[in-house]
Amino acid sequence: MTNDPMNTEPIWKSWFARHGAKLLLFARQQSRRPDEAEDLLQEAFVRIWRLYGHTGEVSPGLVYRAIRRLAIDWARSIDRRKVREDKVALDSPLSFSFERTLEQDERKRALLRAVERLSDQQKEVVTLKIWGELTFDEIARTLDESINTVASRYRYALEKLKDWVPEEMDGRKEDSSAQS
Amino acid sequence: MNEFEKLEAELKELRPLAPGEKFTSRLEKALGDAGNVAMCCLPEGEDGKARVEASFRESSKLVSFSRLVPWVGLAGLGLAAVWAMIFYLSSSLVPDGPEDRVVTDLPMVAQQPVSAPILFSNEDPDSPLHGLSLEQLQDVSVMPVSGWLDPQINERFLRVVDEGIFDRPGRLPARRVRHYFMDETLWSHPASDTRILSTTPREEVIFIELETY
Repeated sequence: MTNDPMNTEPIWKSWFARHGAKLLLFARQQSRRPDEAEDLLQEAFVRIWRLYGHTGEVSPGLVYRAIRRLAIDWARSIDRRKVREDKVALDSPLSFSFERTLEQDERKRALLRAVERLSDQQKEVVTLKIWGELTFDEIARTLDESINTVASRYRYALEKLKDWVPEEMDGRKEDSSAQS
Repeated sequence: MNEFEKLEAELKELRPLAPGEKFTSRLEKALGDAGNVAMCCLPEGEDGKARVEASFRESSKLVSFSRLVPWVGLAGLGLAAVWAMIFYLSSSLVPDGPEDRVVTDLPMVAQQPVSAPILFSNEDPDSPLHGLSLEQLQDVSVMPVSGWLDPQINERFLRVVDEGIFDRPGRLPARRVRHYFMDETLWSHPASDTRILSTTPREEVIFIELETY
């Protein structure tokens, strides 16, 4: 008796443990508000899992796409748009969406600040490629863009990051020296 | 490694924050039955052990044969007493002379003591079968009678079949998903290294209500 019947759990839990953090990051980026991000992720995940969950494995790309489409739908609703406009100033920076460790060095913080400076379109491509681990083809389908468009956005984003990270580090140094 | 690759590697080192427990339980509620459609087996752990122990506790609710032995013994004594009474009465009714022949034809009890003592003398209170002692039973079945462990019960998931969307009058349409299981019960007798496995197929049908957009 190798398979213990009672020692089972729903597949979605292990699936969500694997992909939940990346999906939530993308949802935060799409909604721009942490509380709305969770609603967005819940709605998208439940919809997709109800349709395909019985297969035992769901492509994360489907959930990313559902998040994006729901975010667009919600943004179109007047009330939500108003809330969004009101809250834009309260947006939490991207760095709050990442684990903070004591050993996080200045270079990493500068990297996050540089990512923050990217345009929304570049940021979503970087998010899906780096942390979502999607291929350019999957990203293109998620964002309803061509592969060439997403690939070039990604390339430009990396070029900008290459230039901006040293800037961010120097800027910090100047700030700290000015303060002292 | 070129500069871009180095940058990518640095970005990947940053880990996005995982959703909290509260959010996961919220998700579980929102999923409802749809969350339990696909299950996976977990490796043995403390939780698994606890569940197995619970299942054994359940199985211990079954009354074991050894606990029934005293009651079977008492029942045997009772039967023996009844037989003695019948024997006594029948011997007092047996006629001494030919003039009482009419009477002897009537009571059936007068004939019963001839066979009854043979039947009851072979009765083994520990045996589940009348007329067979435990030793005889063991010889006939070529199986050990005592020393069996509590059975191990196992539910084995075989496959899941999506049977499509069904319309249900007055209710939301639903996707019908059928799960196939094999229930296995294993009895083991360590002394003789004997194991008996019984398998029973089982199906479960789940309806997942579809949302209307």
